[in-house]
Amino acid sequence: MTALEAWLSQRGHGFFEWFNSWVRVFRFATIAIAGALSPSTYNKATRLVMQKQIYFTAWQILPGFVAFAALFSFLIIEIVGSTARNYGLYDYALELLMRILVVEILPMVTALFVALRTGAAINTEVALMKIQNELDALQRMGIDPLRLELLPRVVGGTISVLALTAVNIVVALWLTHLVLIDLHPWTLTNGDFTRLIGKVFDLPALLVLWLKTLVFGFAVTVIPIAEALSTPQKLFHAPISVLRGMVRLFFSLMMIEAVALAIVYV
Amino acid sequence: MNDANEKSAAKKRVVLLAGDAERRQLIEDHPEAFLVSENLPLRANLSVLENITVVLQFRTNTYIGEANDAAWKLLTQVGHTACAEQRDPDLTYEERFVAKLLRAIVLAPPIILIDRPAQLLPDTNYPFFLNKLLLALEGRFEQCWILDYAWNAPLYNSRA
Repeated sequence: MTALEAWLSQRGHGFFEWFNSWVRVFRFATIAIAGALSPSTYNKATRLVMQKQIYFTAWQILPGFVAFAALFSFLIIEIVGSTARNYGLYDYALELLMRILVVEILPMVTALFVALRTGAAINTEVALMKIQNELDALQRMGIDPLRLELLPRVVGGTISVLALTAVNIVVALWLTHLVLIDLHPWTLTNGDFTRLIGKVFDLPALLVLWLKTLVFGFAVTVIPIAEALSTPQKLFHAPISVLRGMVRLFFSLMMIEAVALAIVYV
Repeated sequence: MNDANEKSAAKKRVVLLAGDAERRQLIEDHPEAFLVSENLPLRANLSVLENITVVLQFRTNTYIGEANDAAWKLLTQVGHTACAEQRDPDLTYEERFVAKLLRAIVLAPPIILIDRPAQLLPDTNYPFFLNKLLLALEGRFEQCWILDYAWNAPLYNSRA
């Protein structure tokens, strides 16, 4: 009985800890939304931090990441195109690529890449700022750390994910046209391509796509920051904070994708 | 608490404390004061210049160029421009102290509290160093209180 009680209380404690950490994430998300929409958040200092965030998250990696996304898209287009040709389903390849590659895979890959690169860096930096008392130091100097250090990262990170996804989508669409139509002119026509774009990217699909990308962008910054802010002020907690933040972020991105799929297809 | 050494009229004074509780109370009683303390570090991923600039830029919404000029002027005034582009881990104790002090002074607050200078400047004859530094910054601050423990009083009396 005592063993059962101990097991149950351990499980219960674990559950409450997990639940509380999600409450912290949603609380910070609410504050971040309110702060990001409030004009008083922005001044010359916060705009500078935001510009730096966009530079490091999107601009610095743009050539390399777009090249990677183009290569990745090209491979998927080739595989889908040649398989569809073998089975006599070439007419469907275009729609399949637009629905799977452009609408689902590329936004997800972009969000995962930014999460790994920027999310992990933000989580580490904010956790160290918390541990080393830098946030309190700013507060004592009359600087609101939320306005100067946290919100610009959220806004900059979100804009970066939106921008990178947009660029990748344009490149993937161009490559799809190049591979399936320009290189195989006897199969599909420009008219088919235009018609399918209109069919796949109708208003509800576009809304879901950009809303999903917006939530991806928000998640890759909000979740690491919320996790970092709850780090105890002991240096050995820094890697634990990053680990927790990244795992939570991964599952959140998967959940967002699943919800977006359910909205469109279920 | 007793005032041991009053120099530069009412501008700078050494406040000698009996213990930590008294020190905490004094800091708590002066929330308007800007604190220079071991417990309030610089932003580690910003240079010395940026650490000073960011305070001015955020609080007064000035352009980055103007804020940089003001910060540079302060660094020139105390003769520490060499460390302007360095970040916290690369700084000596003295450079770190100067950066923290200038970060506090840049907005000309009513009171600056230098909290336990022995902790901030462990390898320096700090009463002499502080004297020299505050003299160089004459006119940049209203009041500067040095909070130190009573058992360090002889350090302030010696003429190093």
